[in-house]
Amino acid sequence: MFQRKIDGIELRFHLAGINNQNFLMRDEQTGTYWQQITGKAISGPLAGHSLPLVSADELTFALWKLEQPQGTVLNDVARYAADYAPEDWDAKTAKVPTVLSYAEAGLKPRDLMLGVRAFGASRAFPFVAVLKEKLIQDRVGAEPIAIVVGGDERSVRVFRRRIPGSSEVADFYRIGRGGTSARPKQVNTNALLMDGQTGSEWNFQGCATAGKLRGLCLEPVSVIKDYWFDWRNYNPETTVYGIKQRIH
Amino acid sequence: MLQKPLFWLSICVLISSAVLAYPLYVIQPFRFQGPRELAFSLALIRFRPIIEIALLGAALTLCWFSWHQARGALRKAAASACALIVVVFAVLSHINVYELMFHPIDRPTFSPAAGAKLDGGEEVIAVHIGTAARAYPVRSMSYHHIVNDMLGGLPIVATY
Repeated sequence: MFQRKIDGIELRFHLAGINNQNFLMRDEQTGTYWQQITGKAISGPLAGHSLPLVSADELTFALWKLEQPQGTVLNDVARYAADYAPEDWDAKTAKVPTVLSYAEAGLKPRDLMLGVRAFGASRAFPFVAVLKEKLIQDRVGAEPIAIVVGGDERSVRVFRRRIPGSSEVADFYRIGRGGTSARPKQVNTNALLMDGQTGSEWNFQGCATAGKLRGLCLEPVSVIKDYWFDWRNYNPETTVYGIKQRIH
Repeated sequence: MLQKPLFWLSICVLISSAVLAYPLYVIQPFRFQGPRELAFSLALIRFRPIIEIALLGAALTLCWFSWHQARGALRKAAASACALIVVVFAVLSHINVYELMFHPIDRPTFSPAAGAKLDGGEEVIAVHIGTAARAYPVRSMSYHHIVNDMLGGLPIVATY
């Protein structure tokens, strides 16, 4: 997700090509080609520019609706709706061959990863491991972070673990009751975490809802879900959670 | 050059077809793209309308000469065919296959969260700017890939 105004020019994008299975966009206004995953202009008059990133979340609709009851949802385009992804789209795409493969970490090219690029480092977390562990306390570069699975057992957010207004790093544990359904209708809206320092309770928005720190919110960290081959291609220095040795 | 218009016409056809074919060959979904061949292909795509116009000018001139030198109907026909091919390629140079195949959304419409007909477990890409919040269902984003949108007064592009 990006802003689409550069140097005062509002750009309108087309899908105009592919670069090792990550697509290229062309803007109508200048004819520049942009890489989708990075938002970088790779050919044309604006080459070298980057589209400013707009932070986005990948959530289940049920969870999003609870958080943003006043929000709006993109409608299907009737003309094309019959061709939209079927239910088993994920499983089908997982079988599509790739042109890049980085087997160093024992990962398959289309393993889904949650990638964080922040604090001068890149780190990837296998999506299945995140869903299984539900709370991962780790570091990206030197910065302590927490990866949290939401009350829908599917959505994931990342936060810095520093308690706002102090230099203290919170140690969390999970207190929410977990469901088991992969396609949940019910979202658990109770607090998910408790910190070991003050016993305050924290929700999926990263905010303390009870206890001494009530009202404070952790700083969110951008995370993207990507295939391992694509993440590794654009983040050659990445480390992988759960794998000790340095990649490459 | 004007002594051998047919030879030079066939060169025109060769170059104009190569200018079209090379990026098609490099930018394929199931082929590895090296950084240099990709950069060259994209530059070629950007400049090929100009290249094709220049070739078209040359081809039409050569065709005109071969008609006036007039040595047999066969040669005239061959020259005309060559020129026609360059005309067709010059037109095709304005077309990007990917832009024909994919359909980004330029005029998106929306429903309020409460009225949207989505399954609770469906994944959405969620964004908020100020108090304005929007969700893009992954099911349709994996088809359209690009939505040229406005949110909270800011022009944004949702990509997937």
